[in-house]
Amino acid sequence: MPGRLRKSNPLKKPDRPYYALGLEGSANKLGAGIIKHAEDGSSSVLSNVRHTYITPPGEGFLPRDTAQHHREWALKVIKDALKQAGIAMRDIDCICYTKGPGMGAPLVSVALVARTLSLLFNKPLVGVNHCVGHIEMGREITGAQNPVVLYVSGGNTQVIAYSRQCYRIFGETLDIAVGNCLDRFARVINLSNDPSPGYNIEQEAKKGKRLLPLPYSTKGMDLSLSGILTATEAYTTDKRFRIDPTTDELNGEDIITPADLCFSLQETVFAMLVEITERAMAHIGSKEVLIVGGVGCNERLQEMMGVMASERNGQVFATDERFCIDNGIMIAQAGLLSYRMGYTTPLVESTCTQRFRTDEVHVAWRA
Amino acid sequence: MSPTTPLNPTSPPTLTLISNSTPVAQGAEAKVYKSILHPSREGSPVSIFVKYRFTKQYRHPTLDTNLTRARVAGEARALMKCLRSGVNVPGIRMVDASEGVLGTEWIEGKSVRALLGGGADDEGDDDELLEDGQDTQELLEEDTLKPFGLSQDTLMSMIGTEIAKMHLADVIHGDLTTSNMMLPFPSPSHLTLLYLVDFGLSFTSPLTEDKAVDLYVLERAFSSTHPDSSALFARVLDAYAKRVGEKEWGVVGRRLDDVRLRGRKRSMVG
Amino acid sequence: MDSYQLPQFNRDIHIALLKNVSNASQIRSRIIIAASIPSPQGDAEREAINFAFIDPRLLTSALHIKTAIYQALLNEHQASLRTKSVHSEILWALNPNNNITEAIRRFGVSDSCTSLLIVRISSPDLNDVEAKIKSIVSGDIVPLSQLETLTDWATIKKYYKLNGEPVLEEVAGDTQRERAVLDNIVVSSVAMKTVMQ
Repeated sequence: MPGRLRKSNPLKKPDRPYYALGLEGSANKLGAGIIKHAEDGSSSVLSNVRHTYITPPGEGFLPRDTAQHHREWALKVIKDALKQAGIAMRDIDCICYTKGPGMGAPLVSVALVARTLSLLFNKPLVGVNHCVGHIEMGREITGAQNPVVLYVSGGNTQVIAYSRQCYRIFGETLDIAVGNCLDRFARVINLSNDPSPGYNIEQEAKKGKRLLPLPYSTKGMDLSLSGILTATEAYTTDKRFRIDPTTDELNGEDIITPADLCFSLQETVFAMLVEITERAMAHIGSKEVLIVGGVGCNERLQEMMGVMASERNGQVFATDERFCIDNGIMIAQAGLLSYRMGYTTPLVESTCTQRFRTDEVHVAWRA
Repeated sequence: MSPTTPLNPTSPPTLTLISNSTPVAQGAEAKVYKSILHPSREGSPVSIFVKYRFTKQYRHPTLDTNLTRARVAGEARALMKCLRSGVNVPGIRMVDASEGVLGTEWIEGKSVRALLGGGADDEGDDDELLEDGQDTQELLEEDTLKPFGLSQDTLMSMIGTEIAKMHLADVIHGDLTTSNMMLPFPSPSHLTLLYLVDFGLSFTSPLTEDKAVDLYVLERAFSSTHPDSSALFARVLDAYAKRVGEKEWGVVGRRLDDVRLRGRKRSMVG
Repeated sequence: MDSYQLPQFNRDIHIALLKNVSNASQIRSRIIIAASIPSPQGDAEREAINFAFIDPRLLTSALHIKTAIYQALLNEHQASLRTKSVHSEILWALNPNNNITEAIRRFGVSDSCTSLLIVRISSPDLNDVEAKIKSIVSGDIVPLSQLETLTDWATIKKYYKLNGEPVLEEVAGDTQRERAVLDNIVVSSVAMKTVMQ
């Protein structure tokens, strides 16, 4: 590792406390959070309220219905956030919202609320990149200094490292995101979407015993997941597959259970994620890993990453479901950091972008 | 060489071989060693390069075994394909897939990275070198090449030509950097050839996209490890274009432009 | 004769090259007959000719045969022998495909051989290997380096399917380079046979 000159932090301590409201709705989670940046430079979570749009088992969530859910719940969630924080809109310095990436209609429904509040209360808007939100909240909560970030959710799968005011993408999925892969399989075997399909896959996997062969597809720093999803789905038409095995079957016969498939899928997919993360760590010489995004809640993934990290004398940082899963507070955090560096989003530019790459953001607040 | 370790009857022979070998480096995936396979008394013993893909504890054991075996096999097959197609790559000397080990021809020489000098942002190597067989980088660029009797331009052409031959065989290297290219020290008995090494991330593909990305990875490696090297890299592409022919270069070159514009990869979807 | 130890297998390797061999067909008969005599009557004879008998015209270099020996030992250790013994496994290792009969026919002793390469893989305590060889083969032991003078390059190209490979076009006209390239490819093929599809 080359020595680094200590650069001065561009983000100076605030002269007074700052408060930001963050609004998130890029997928099926609607979140509002309020963060405070105190004069000593510390951040505190004043409130973090969320409501999730849950569909019946076997169904995914569609943009139009999701947007409708967000419209229905926006005011309640925001009011609760303000109440829990014990502050009023007039105390807020800026209104942060998710500019992207994400699903079009849901993003826009939340952006509309943000704009309206901005006009009503005469507060500046700050458009935030959803992924940067995850990263900044992860850093804040865990205290990780300069980790390799594994960002894994329903919509994103990236390995990121910070370099010169940019969150560089080292590796990513070449097709679908890991959360998407897991969620879609959960629906194939009809697992409940409550609280989330990913959570239920994780529980189901714990009961699995067989590791079935599945295609392992990393390509250097990248990975491909559509093949493994197809292959896992294919096992459900195998004659050994039993959707609802009896106790006898479980004890004796050569069968494949949904638990076995969940187990095999997780073990293989997570091994791929750990591998590309390790490659990035070796490449840049980092000893820290920060896992963010909804799939980051998965304890098996955390465990595997931990084994890899400790073999390298490193450390894994992860947050709990308050912060891994999409939330408004992360948008407030990243937004307020931007705002304090002088960044705002004029109304005319307060659009949404379904495709908004993490590395397009100028990370002005870091050296 | 370390003294011979007493024979452990339960230890696999390849692991015993490794324990008696000289460590060279360790990467994320594998440890590499200098070793002697056939310690004959006649003539001087010939060294080989041993790459050991050790067990990854985080992986399920079955997955680990299968994956390691598949990777050793894949690397060996890529090398074989290159050899038959005339790409200068190290020959294969020993394969023990169940232990995750690949033995190849030892190339005594310098990496192109060392020859070009670096010292810029260290984004190249993922290996920590354990030995002091380090290449000194204080030497001026031209001086380092002098013993090899080559100019930088010639070296760049050789690189472009080798990659072209490799791509013509539909082999994608997957990790083209100047650390993975070697010049053997000159000798009266053989020509100085440019070798491509470390095919651990390689795969077979006829796709233009994969070839363009292969070149793009090298371009990025050049610019981050050897600043002011765009003129040099242009030479590499010239030689590549010449070797693959106008038609193929038309296709790959255009795709390379696209890849450059895209930056890293395709745009994300939310 | 070349002898060396491979401590990781707990084995000694002995390699002898003989020219002016006059009893190739007799050796071949001995091998065939010895295989058919049941135990325990046939054991002594089988032990007497417990060697690999190889046609040196099908070898490109000492490295070629040593690579085959090594891979045969790995197979034996991993209990994945395709043939009956480590000696016959060397012949299997030399042949590019899995047809054992063909391997023996191509690389083993044939009636027309006037030179032979003998390999003995033994436990470290075996003595007098050279004497044992001399008692079987009527011929002159010569340095292993003379292997180069015997190589039948045309047949090797045929067996290893090298005719028409792009690499040969590269080095056409330069015999020395061509032979070095062929040797490299042949050695590499033997080394990676277990993972060839």
